[in-house]
Amino acid sequence: MPDFPEQSLTESGAALVEGIARVVAVEGAVAWLEPEQGPSCAGCASVGCGSKGLGTLASRLAARRFPLTDCPDLRVGDRVVVGVRGDALLKAALTAYVLPLVAMLAAAILAQSLAGHDGVTLAASVAGLLLGLGIARRWASRLTARGVIAPRFLRRAGLGSSCRLTESGW
Amino acid sequence: MQDYVYLMLSAALVNNVILARFLGLCSFMGVTTRVDTAVGMGLATTFVITVSSMLNWAVEAYLLKPYDLLYLRTVTFILVIAAAVQFTEMTVRKISPSLFQMLGIYLPLITTNCAVLGVALLLVEGRMGFLESVLFALASSLGYSLVMVLFAGLRERLAVADVPPLFAGPPIGFIVASLLALAFMGFSGIGAH
Repeated sequence: MPDFPEQSLTESGAALVEGIARVVAVEGAVAWLEPEQGPSCAGCASVGCGSKGLGTLASRLAARRFPLTDCPDLRVGDRVVVGVRGDALLKAALTAYVLPLVAMLAAAILAQSLAGHDGVTLAASVAGLLLGLGIARRWASRLTARGVIAPRFLRRAGLGSSCRLTESGW
Repeated sequence: MQDYVYLMLSAALVNNVILARFLGLCSFMGVTTRVDTAVGMGLATTFVITVSSMLNWAVEAYLLKPYDLLYLRTVTFILVIAAAVQFTEMTVRKISPSLFQMLGIYLPLITTNCAVLGVALLLVEGRMGFLESVLFALASSLGYSLVMVLFAGLRERLAVADVPPLFAGPPIGFIVASLLALAFMGFSGIGAH
């Protein structure tokens, strides 16, 4: 039977979603981790993938490196299991994508009702989008400061651990 | 206002991008193993579709039509979509590296998503004004996200269901997707006048 992605709980009982990462650098007490390539990553790295021209898989994984400070005695090459709060992805997506869209739409509707001209509505939409991005940036800083979207060290990964979520492969 | 509501209902449910127009099926089958990844992918696609449709409308209205360059429409739209994805990626990385670490994996998948180009072509063929185009694009992408989340939930349930070996994997997935498409056919007729 295929496995569900493993979940553990925080001290407050919130569900954590686990993933596997590899230590790529250690700077004092801070370890830099890179997510391990999963099945979807392999799909993107295939020859037929249209997004290949926008950046290699290696550069994309490198761009997603993140630091960990609460980890004991990690060395380069170690594989660890990290956890992220289950609601973190939803909050992150709402902050990064929904906030700017709402601001853009509100500006567009306001401009259309006041001016009734497509060009003015377009300009107002762009302004609303930029304003929304500014608000999203501030909100993201608050989320980061509160540790809502930060991954945390759970344990070292076993030899047979992988980030495959199911055995069916579909 | 009522026309806008009917336009959005029609775009999101009646003429759903995935189940009625059969666009974006790669991500529909590939990124719906879990509900949370489907939510992330759906919201990212919503943002890209809406922003790129806004840009494509402007390119069509102020560049292609006035200078009689409509034969360049498809190539130009693809270029605009790729630029919109790159813009989104750079913006999310600038707003918050933490957010980018969590959400950045979805963005390359959107560039080659035919639903993005499909929505842009549909709205220029519909000869809609700017606000109507934005609402159409937003509603289409929200319909896309809705179907992604629904299908992800069904797949999570299927993962623990007793499926016959012959149907395990992609076969039962396509059967479920077909049943979902049949269910969405029940929306046809809404907004028709």
